[in-house]
Amino acid sequence: MSTTKDFIVDQLKAEISGFKAEVSEKSVGKVLKVSDGIALVSGLAEAMMSEILIFKTETVEVTGVALNLEENQVGAIILGDYTAIKEGDEVIATKRILEVPVGENMIGRVVNPLGEPMDGKGKIETTKFYPVEKIAPGVITRAPVKEPVQTGVKAIDAMIPIGRGQRELIIGDRQLGKTALAVDTIINQKGQNMKCIYVAIGQKESKVANIVTKLTEAGAMAYTTVVLAGASTPASLLYIAPYAGCAMAEYFCDKGEDVLIIYDDLSKHAVSYREISLLLRRPPGREAYPGDVFYLHSRLLERACKLNKDFGGGSITALPIIETQAGDLSAYIPTNVISITDGQIFLEPDLFYKGNRPAVNAGLSVSRVGSSAQIKAMKKVAGKMRLEAAQYRELAAFAQFGSDLDSETQKKLERGKRLYEVFKQDQYQPLSVAKQVVCYYALINGFMDNVPVEKIREFEAGLYKYADLNDAALKLIDTVKEINEEVEKGIKKLIEDYKATVDYLIK
Amino acid sequence: MKISIQQYAQSLYDSVVGKSDQEAKEICKNFAAILDRNHDLNKEEAIIAVFNDLWNTANGEVAATLSSARELDKAARQDVVEYLKARTGAQSVSLAEKIDKGLIGGFVLRYGSKVLDGSLKNSLDNLKNKISN
Repeated sequence: MSTTKDFIVDQLKAEISGFKAEVSEKSVGKVLKVSDGIALVSGLAEAMMSEILIFKTETVEVTGVALNLEENQVGAIILGDYTAIKEGDEVIATKRILEVPVGENMIGRVVNPLGEPMDGKGKIETTKFYPVEKIAPGVITRAPVKEPVQTGVKAIDAMIPIGRGQRELIIGDRQLGKTALAVDTIINQKGQNMKCIYVAIGQKESKVANIVTKLTEAGAMAYTTVVLAGASTPASLLYIAPYAGCAMAEYFCDKGEDVLIIYDDLSKHAVSYREISLLLRRPPGREAYPGDVFYLHSRLLERACKLNKDFGGGSITALPIIETQAGDLSAYIPTNVISITDGQIFLEPDLFYKGNRPAVNAGLSVSRVGSSAQIKAMKKVAGKMRLEAAQYRELAAFAQFGSDLDSETQKKLERGKRLYEVFKQDQYQPLSVAKQVVCYYALINGFMDNVPVEKIREFEAGLYKYADLNDAALKLIDTVKEINEEVEKGIKKLIEDYKATVDYLIK
Repeated sequence: MKISIQQYAQSLYDSVVGKSDQEAKEICKNFAAILDRNHDLNKEEAIIAVFNDLWNTANGEVAATLSSARELDKAARQDVVEYLKARTGAQSVSLAEKIDKGLIGGFVLRYGSKVLDGSLKNSLDNLKNKISN
């Protein structure tokens, strides 16, 4: 027999006797107008900015957030089914600022911007809540960015190093592999003591499902949270998604941990904010964006930080993504975000269609934090890589016109060809920093000069396999992190031994 | 220049305050004439609402509605009035009373944008929410 009637009655009695009918004064208002995800509410004299409002409809309670505080009315965005709300419905102010659940249990889950599970794996047990909007850490709490984030992408780790606490923009047209770069970076964080948060803003849910599957396969969901606001989500939720993701990141940062957060993408975020602003009748400016669209992104990205020892030493590294239209970097939102971030990775269609993937443009991509976020070994082998890559492209374009080139230029061209071959990398194949060092060492010290250009990738793949089997040199790089005589000898021996096994070298 | 509702109400209040009934009558007549001349007669209701607020704040009056399931006795009503005076610091309270059988028991007090819901219906709703969650 399962449960008895008496048991249920007893339970109910206990429940009811413990229930206290509390009477407290509430601030209420009335819905004046509802339209496309926003509502105008009268009354609510003491409403706060970004306070949670509850719309009491006939059937359900819908939550909203106060965004416009005016003399006689409050403009609110609705975070739920706005079609249920009718004119004249009662609205209650909760005296709580919008907040999301945070904590360890969020890891490995797919949640919506309110922290509710979207992956069908059941309720998420959390005890802590963080406000969605928070002022960024001040100057005295911060420390310089010094430790590297290993993206596992050769071209980036060598030329455009990213440090923990940095904000590095990934920018480019559609379908050039912006998300792929971000996902590779997440996959490469395994064992790097990093929590990851991927915020999908206005992305196709099929794409997000793909990403989650890939992350699960790579074992990356063990340290990753996905915040999903899909393309069919109302603008109000798209708008709060990156702030919610950042709040979840701040929880770990406050505990002194390192977090990587990816906003994919902020152009759609700006568009959703434009929608809300226009509906709230705020005056439009350039490209119909409201006046505070710069503040929208600057206050979000400013929350990325590296805290100093006294404040726990945690960090939030932000990789915002911006999609440009036809490579136009001078549009409104791209210029804004470029000026906010500490550098950008610019992906170029020409390179992409030539087969140089990831299609990172060496000339236009920069990292303002620079080589202080590289390990010494990497600094040594990759020091002038960016300059060389950019020079090669100019030289190659120039060399097309004439065939009479001096041997010096010939040599530079040959080296450049091999460099671009080395930059090529498959998706979902991030590379450890030690292997990158070995590869670049081989390149700059001329070990690849007698490998035919079309065989470079084969050579490289073989080299990594060989290095895995004889991993003394790799281990040495990982421990000393710089190139001293011993390490150099190890790397040299590894490369020479491997070269002895291949048969396609130019004699 | 367009005159806002707030400005209309404020000037009406400023001109009638401290005047005798006879004078006020004359002022109202003139005021209506101004509204007519400015084609603002349709704003009358809004102006009256703002004027009421101005008058009430200036004179320490508070307007409230009290809904209850049964008619309240004098003592209970007095308690409500005292409560309002204490909460808002008002000198006097104008209380509009309503009987609403739907509340089952208790009362609901509304003033300004505040609600004090002490009805049995509200408690039952809360209990329902608590048990179903």
